[in-house]
Amino acid sequence: MVPVDRAVAAEVEAIVAREAFLLDTRRWADWLALYADDAIFWVPAWASDDGFTTDPDNNVSLMYMDKAGLEARVFRIESADSWATEPLPFTAHLVTSVLVTATRGAELEASAAWLVRSFARTRGATLRGGRYDYVFRRAPDGLRIARKTVYVHDDRIVGALDVYNI
Amino acid sequence: MPDTAPSEFDPTGYIDERPGVFRVHRSVFLDPALFEREMERIFGRSWIYLCHESQIRAHGAYVATTIGRQPVFVIRQADGSIKAFLNACAHRGAALTARRSGTARTITCRYHGWSYAADGRCVMIRAEEGFHGSAIERASVSLAAVPRVATYKGFVFGCLDAAVDPLDEFLGDARAFIDLMADQSEQGMEILKGESVYMMRANWKLQTENSTDGYHVATVHRSFGTALSFRDSLLGTGADDPMKKTEAARILTLDKIVSGAYTLRNGHMINWSTRGMPEAVPLHERRARLEAVHGAEKVRWMIDRGRTVTIFPNLLLNDMASTCIRIWRPIAVDLTEIETWCLAPIGESAAARRARIRKYEDFFFPASLAVPDDVAAMEGAHAGSQASAHVWNDLALGRATMIAGADEAARALGVEPLTSNPGRESETAFDGFYREWRRRLAS
Ligand code: FES
Ligand SMILES: [Fe+2]
Repeated sequence: MVPVDRAVAAEVEAIVAREAFLLDTRRWADWLALYADDAIFWVPAWASDDGFTTDPDNNVSLMYMDKAGLEARVFRIESADSWATEPLPFTAHLVTSVLVTATRGAELEASAAWLVRSFARTRGATLRGGRYDYVFRRAPDGLRIARKTVYVHDDRIVGALDVYNI
Repeated sequence: MPDTAPSEFDPTGYIDERPGVFRVHRSVFLDPALFEREMERIFGRSWIYLCHESQIRAHGAYVATTIGRQPVFVIRQADGSIKAFLNACAHRGAALTARRSGTARTITCRYHGWSYAADGRCVMIRAEEGFHGSAIERASVSLAAVPRVATYKGFVFGCLDAAVDPLDEFLGDARAFIDLMADQSEQGMEILKGESVYMMRANWKLQTENSTDGYHVATVHRSFGTALSFRDSLLGTGADDPMKKTEAARILTLDKIVSGAYTLRNGHMINWSTRGMPEAVPLHERRARLEAVHGAEKVRWMIDRGRTVTIFPNLLLNDMASTCIRIWRPIAVDLTEIETWCLAPIGESAAARRARIRKYEDFFFPASLAVPDDVAAMEGAHAGSQASAHVWNDLALGRATMIAGADEAARALGVEPLTSNPGRESETAFDGFYREWRRRLAS
């Protein structure tokens, strides 16, 4: 672990909480604005019973997207034309144990544990969990997400798995 | 079987077939007794896809799966051959592999410690020589083998019925379509790492239908089409790499695209459509090499046409958006587990590999922009089947354009379908599946 300034730790905790808040309250444009233009959003797949895929160029991931990919996800949500999200579920992100794990120049790494409870009348409640690994980059007006890796522990996925419910 | 002895069982009433009419009774998705019969007569007696050879290259490498509801595992032998066994200890039945895949030259049961070689022979009964005294001869016990295992071009199948016809006969004309995927590299094909398993609260046959159904694409996947055309527009005109582009927008004009559907013997079904932008296909880079080996006509089928190849009863080889193998495992009459893999040509360029994977992720998983909507459609169809005031699904589309035998495109590939239809937005291919389903249930 690295010694971290309390103010920096608080700043990281705040942006992690803010991302959860923006997703749960469906403020999609504000959520997208948290991401740097060259950001990568990666959800590895299970590689075996013991671990996740590590190489998105040679392994299949559940998602591996640049910012255009994230924008397409938001476009799809807002167009309300996907049968799987009719209606869009309510979500509650519980993100905790946020820890800054590395600092280098303008970049910071952090890790957190997550649970998301989703509920839609059509499908009932689903609960999934895992870990986030973030890379943040300092911009003039605060931190931006340069990379987010979402480990989803659950197998045998029930219902849609999308940017808002992981 | 609970109360329907073979002689009393009459599956004819589930299908209403008259000239110009083909209807399926919705109770086929709901009836638990029928589901039991399917497990026995279809999954218990048909060739069922187990794995791809590339998943079990080394001696002792195994993959666990199911044949119907029966747990089995497939394992590579010391001599390079492949065997499959029921995934249950010969002693008191404990499942032998907790994992989905792994390597074990000796398989030791975690319960009382009996050990088996990869060929199923019991090599150790713990304490057999001791004071316990055993009436069992170690040499006489071994794992129960899946009686028939056979491979076609890397695709490994097993059958619980020792008397089943050879795999080659069962696959029949489907082999020419399997070849279009299996022959994409002279070095062979490989399954890419990255598991994807998901659940569907619906009957397994709804996935068989959906895998071949060209009619739902323009509606259910409209959202895939619009979201990806939006993403393509963000690439701008300067997008250097054609493989980054998708053909998603064409989904919206499917009725104008040259396409077709076939019913093959033994319940297999094909649908295909012409691609508008072959240079967006990762295989395009191999075109010249493939033409030298296979000839222009076969490569036209490989690269210029997207295809879904549905093998009776629960396997799909999909080469549309990317290259996907999908199986659907019946768990209960209203619950199905689905697993998919990306199959790729060994030796393709890094750029093609990356593009293939990204296109796969776009379409083939519940985290994608398409499969969640398929699952919603199949679950919706299952839920609606409970409405008992109207009990028939009318598979009417394309009756007027269907012809007996091969069309020109099928002839060029050297196959003789039972029927051909000049449009993938048709429902006539399902006839072959449901007739085969009925024949096997009655047998
Ligand atoms: S059940 Fe396997 S050793 Fe007893
Ligand atoms: Fe579909």
